[in-house]
Amino acid sequence: MAIAKAERLMNLALCLLGTRRPLSKRELRGSIEAYLEAGNDESFNRMFERDKDDLRELGLVIETVENLDGETGYLARRDSNRLPPVSLDAEEAAALGLAAKVWQQARLAGAASGALQKLRAGGMPEAGDPYEGQHSAIEPRIPVHEAAFEPLMLACRDRRPVVFDYRKSTAARPEARQVEPWALECWRGHWYLAGFDRDRGAERVFRLSRITGKVRSRAAKYTAEVPDVVTVRETVASWAGEGADRSALIRLRAGAGYPLRAKATAVRECGDGWDELEIPYGHGLDAWLVEFGPDVVVLEPAGLRADVVDRLRAVAKG
Amino acid sequence: MAANAIDQTRRMLSLVTYLRERPGAHVADVARAFGITEDELISDLDVLPMCGTSFRGGDLLDIDTDGERIWWRNPDASGESTAEPLRLAADEATALLVAARAVATLPGLRESDRDALLRATAKLEAAAGEAAGASSRLSVTFEAEGGVFADVDRAISERRRLWLRYYSPARDELTERTVDPIRLFTVGHTYLEGWCHLSEARRTFRLDRVAEIRLLDERAEPPAIEPRDLSEGLVQPAAEDPEVVVEVGPGGRWVAEYYPHDSAEELAEGGLRITLRSPDPASLRRLALRLGREGRIVAPVELADAARQAAREALAGYGEQV
Repeated sequence: MAIAKAERLMNLALCLLGTRRPLSKRELRGSIEAYLEAGNDESFNRMFERDKDDLRELGLVIETVENLDGETGYLARRDSNRLPPVSLDAEEAAALGLAAKVWQQARLAGAASGALQKLRAGGMPEAGDPYEGQHSAIEPRIPVHEAAFEPLMLACRDRRPVVFDYRKSTAARPEARQVEPWALECWRGHWYLAGFDRDRGAERVFRLSRITGKVRSRAAKYTAEVPDVVTVRETVASWAGEGADRSALIRLRAGAGYPLRAKATAVRECGDGWDELEIPYGHGLDAWLVEFGPDVVVLEPAGLRADVVDRLRAVAKG
Repeated sequence: MAANAIDQTRRMLSLVTYLRERPGAHVADVARAFGITEDELISDLDVLPMCGTSFRGGDLLDIDTDGERIWWRNPDASGESTAEPLRLAADEATALLVAARAVATLPGLRESDRDALLRATAKLEAAAGEAAGASSRLSVTFEAEGGVFADVDRAISERRRLWLRYYSPARDELTERTVDPIRLFTVGHTYLEGWCHLSEARRTFRLDRVAEIRLLDERAEPPAIEPRDLSEGLVQPAAEDPEVVVEVGPGGRWVAEYYPHDSAEELAEGGLRITLRSPDPASLRRLALRLGREGRIVAPVELADAARQAAREALAGYGEQV
């Protein structure tokens, strides 16, 4: 049976961390059983390169040094690989324990547990019992259902331009987009990407669930500056009609439409089984009001009234 | 799987550093400290004796367990390579920092928890150094109604029954319920899971739909039930629920993003034919009305009729006859 990959990686890590002088590939191959069994040079080389990349993903700083004979050697120096002392009290440790559980995405969940285990090895105290009553009884979870998340996260981290097919909310067909990805943000359970759209020459926000097909990242990093503050949420909120700047007047059947009442700036009972409400009017209000069917009548403004009537006609004809 | 090999390697590297300081450590304690099952720990302990700086020199790690305690007989064999924990990788710092920052901004969180999170975040940023940089590329906002959150939180820790006035969008109505809280969780929005005495069943309540809340003096006694598995999504229609078929144009494709569905078949001109299941199809009248010209209900016929009827009644309010 082939030697398990975790065993091979572990051996490579121990060799690189344990040595004081750079070890050549030849020496490493002689010390690690899985490499001896790797067969020909080519398959060993491929395996070795991949393993080094994997260890670097785990945070290992591996230096490449050329010796006098021009042979390349590798080592992981202790002073560039050690975790600086972190002194966390039991409360802080419990807080991080809560934070480590929130990811519902394999890569980040693994990374969060890995971080916690390193801190534990560094002496982080263990939380006692779930200390009834002392902490908020909250279980936060970060959902990641979008397949585009992981490649985009890596592309943001490594500053690699990406290409993907994107279908705008009202477009019939997806369109290829070339983007320098800046940041990902999760709002109300959905992920969004902010970045510089190369074809449009401007900042754009993309909803990950509208990316169709694979995200391909280019090898060459982009060099343009990433802005310090990226306003994903403001952009998305304006799509969602949160940026209301006007006001509308509606009639609402008594007892109906609680969410409209909760948003109302003024409510007046009409005494005829209906109430009059003033509510903030932004993008998307017409679609929302139509949901309440015969329990809502729009009074003002005329434009909103016409939009609602238009929508109702479409359904009535349906 | 490759990802598992990476996670296992990462864990074993921390494990050897941890075990070095704790000769004779108990399997149960170590598993708990590392957040893994005892079986996972034992499988790590099976691999470790095959690891070392050279399989030839006899300096493999002599780590041994009798299933209860763990002994490392030659902690110096691997030199100083395992003496200290390793620095945090970019992904590790990101995963922990982004999560901690997100939780710290939850409205309604107890101040002592918020303070602990912020202190821990600052220490972690300092320890991670450069690796912390990538964490600014990800951010998460949780939504919660702070006041309701605090009341539910208190009810859970004091094991008290709650009284709610709760809005159900499906019926556009407010109902009064007494609920024995089980837990409070956040997936984008924040929810209370509890035993509802009105429906005599487990129910999930979104906090921003709680119109009013009171803590009662009665003790909460929810039946012992398995908590819901949140990884599958909140809405899990049952196989026996009636089928609803919706056809939408390009402007109605969002339906497939918001409603869990069995299938979404592409139609000409960017449309979709979406098949979903609902325990109560009548509750989808809202959706039919909202879609307007962007889509229509194909089945069941009763639902399509109800939407048409509602639209006609609504138009009558504007003095229109259809």
